[in-house]
Amino acid sequence: MATRIKDIQTNVEDLVTARDTRAPSRRPIAVPIDQPVTYPLDLPESEARLRTPAVGQRATRPDGRLHGLGQTQYIDDITFPHMLHAKILRSEYAHARIVNVDTSEAEKMPGVIATLTGAEVPENSFGPTYQDQPILAYPIARHRGDGVAAVAATTEQFALDALEKIKVEYEPLPAVYDPLEALQEDSPKVHGDTNIYTSKTIRKGDVEAALAASEHVFERRFSTQMVEHVPLEPHATIASWDGNGRVSIWSSLGRITLGREDLARTLQMPQSRIRLIGTVVGGNFGGKNEITNEPIVALLSKKSRRPVKAVYSRGDEFVSSTIRHPFIMDYTTGVDNEGRILARKIRLVLDGGAYCSWTGTTIGKGSILAPGPYNIENILVEAYAVYTNKTTTGAMRGFGAPQVCFAYESQMDDIADALGIDPLEIRLRNGFSENSLSPTGQSLQSVALKESLTQAADRFAWKEWQA
Amino acid sequence: MLVELTVNGESRSANVAPETTLLRMLREELGLTGAKLGCDVGDCGTCTVIVDGVSVNSCLMLAGRASGCDVTTIEGMASADELHPLQQKFEELGALQCGFCGPGMLISAKNLLDTNPEPTVFEVRDALAGNLCRCTGYTKIIEAVIDAGEMMSQEQANV
Repeated sequence: MATRIKDIQTNVEDLVTARDTRAPSRRPIAVPIDQPVTYPLDLPESEARLRTPAVGQRATRPDGRLHGLGQTQYIDDITFPHMLHAKILRSEYAHARIVNVDTSEAEKMPGVIATLTGAEVPENSFGPTYQDQPILAYPIARHRGDGVAAVAATTEQFALDALEKIKVEYEPLPAVYDPLEALQEDSPKVHGDTNIYTSKTIRKGDVEAALAASEHVFERRFSTQMVEHVPLEPHATIASWDGNGRVSIWSSLGRITLGREDLARTLQMPQSRIRLIGTVVGGNFGGKNEITNEPIVALLSKKSRRPVKAVYSRGDEFVSSTIRHPFIMDYTTGVDNEGRILARKIRLVLDGGAYCSWTGTTIGKGSILAPGPYNIENILVEAYAVYTNKTTTGAMRGFGAPQVCFAYESQMDDIADALGIDPLEIRLRNGFSENSLSPTGQSLQSVALKESLTQAADRFAWKEWQA
Repeated sequence: MLVELTVNGESRSANVAPETTLLRMLREELGLTGAKLGCDVGDCGTCTVIVDGVSVNSCLMLAGRASGCDVTTIEGMASADELHPLQQKFEELGALQCGFCGPGMLISAKNLLDTNPEPTVFEVRDALAGNLCRCTGYTKIIEAVIDAGEMMSQEQANV
């Protein structure tokens, strides 16, 4: 291993002064390879693949020109006459009962036209799976990112100044931050009697018997952290409630039909009176898949009878928008002397934060993919999503797939290392091929795993590095 | 306070509150919404504009400080009938996906090529270090800048 590190160390000065204008992907492979690589991959063409001739073709984005000219209109680039700006006050506590919200002083501030509290929202709950999340927290705030009141003023600065004048009386409640602690019976409860709000079990074969019969058993705990999407465009909304009782909403939301359903529910009005316009989105990555401040802005527009715009600050974005679920993953894997996986037992604990959001999808995908792309006869996956008094976790690229990938691939390396098998070889021995069955019994088509691995290994000269 | 400056070759002025940033003046007073507000603390670079030949985060510069300066924004890059080589190459190579970083990224790249038409990959990376992109992974952006530099040098040679 030490020689590998030495090999790739290069004189930094040489790099900086080198007249190599080729970007990384255009550089030729540094080490000569045994066989020339042919592209595209020479694979049996499935019927589905033949029906999709566009795949593999080069295409230019139709919106690329306006992006480059700076003429694309994102929400913050749109303004309306007499438009107001809204800002949201966040909870001071991770867990607290809200006794009273007094906005009277804020309303006297210069430029302030309307305020809103959770008690004024017609149906103060939403969520794509469970409707457990309030529009503005009332009577319980369950994490620091929960909004407790909002202000619409003639400028953003006036709105921010007014937030400081809102008096909120809190009764702090015990909070829980660690997902394993949240599983305990005597832990503070975020909602109801238990913090476990979703679970999933996948069983295949007899994992205990197969583990007992395995020549080697590997056990390890892996964990991943919170990740925020950080779209460069923060969440933004404009709402305009007209004199006929219809509301038009311009939103950075990615799922507008679902959003309109949620808006109809929270605003308690028919969908026919809601016009939701999805604009060009400046980065989503899963974080803009459900409503956030849309009902707040709509209700402020109704109260002020003026168009209202709200743009999250980067701080709002971090504490209040959804994030990726941190996972705690216990992997027990039984293998034979050749490194063939005989059994894999997995326990996943998903730190869900304060509300459910897209956890249903995340726990499902995470569980199905947890054993990895390997042929394993005996599998047990048990997954639990638990509430904690932290930022809400939701959809983010892959819905749980990257977390489990980190765990199973790390363990594959552990096994390869312990048994003295080449890390590529152990993957080729166990990897899925055409018609392999997924852990839930789905027959897989167009499987190019081994071909991809082999070609990738050739491309970066895996054998030469090992030598 | 009255702020007078030159934007994309045109004399512009506006009466703004003293705390107004150059970014807000451009977007809200002058209607130039190409430069974006991404983080408001100078981390992401979506607000990048060129002030007297230096690329700056306009969210961190007060409008008053830009008084009398020569400012170039994304709106000043293309001519009436032709894209800037950078804009052409960014479009061609798919260097823009959601596009939100684009105006700042292009302005930083323009400022680099204006002074160094044949940069190395490392010089491009250095010049774009203050511009974040969450979609592309930067590879296409770097390729586009280098290609645009070559294109500009060739155009120069042909003249």
